[in-house]
Amino acid sequence: MNRLQKKAWINFAAVTACVVLAGMGLGILVHTNAKGIDTLLIGMVPGFVVGLVVYVRSVAGQARLDEREKAIARRSYVWACYSLILFWACISFGIFFIAGGKSAVPAYTLPVVFLTGLFLAQFVESAAILIQFAREAVDE
Amino acid sequence: MSSDYLTNQVRRLRFENGQMTQQQLADKVGVTRQTIIAIEAGKYAPSLPLAFKLARTFEVPIEQVFQYEDQEI
Repeated sequence: MNRLQKKAWINFAAVTACVVLAGMGLGILVHTNAKGIDTLLIGMVPGFVVGLVVYVRSVAGQARLDEREKAIARRSYVWACYSLILFWACISFGIFFIAGGKSAVPAYTLPVVFLTGLFLAQFVESAAILIQFAREAVDE
Repeated sequence: MSSDYLTNQVRRLRFENGQMTQQQLADKVGVTRQTIIAIEAGKYAPSLPLAFKLARTFEVPIEQVFQYEDQEI
């Protein structure tokens, strides 16, 4: 298993853990009926800092990938972007068509949709990496 | 990315050059062993720079390493 495959598996685990933690955190905020952007930002600042560190390390780590691994990583990133756009489009228009143009949704829907989209994109990127390596796998 | 029309003699040339292992060849051209395995199996078409590096490692023209079957439409 090479570096990129290990990264994909680690991301799978990290996304799962983050979904659980974010869901718990958001549940607490909703239950306590927290108001104001400052409460949400306090919860999201650690997440952004961790995410930024992980992203910078990830970009730096890509310099050590060979051309085939870079091509696989690039295609996976594109698939992640496509899935993100498709998800946000489906959610945005889905809510509109289901709830109606004059209906209201709870305020916590927006950060949930945003974070879910990011997690989905990371999930799709990791899956795309592993699937591409599996498709090209040969008996060694 | 595989290519149905691209074949190669990397495995044969590797054996003809002092029974070179896949890892040794990978180290010489600056890729991973998995990439060499994928190239030999026809699962991955290398970039031009990598193709030239392979040819120069074996000290043969690039056409002796990679062959392109041009199929008429």
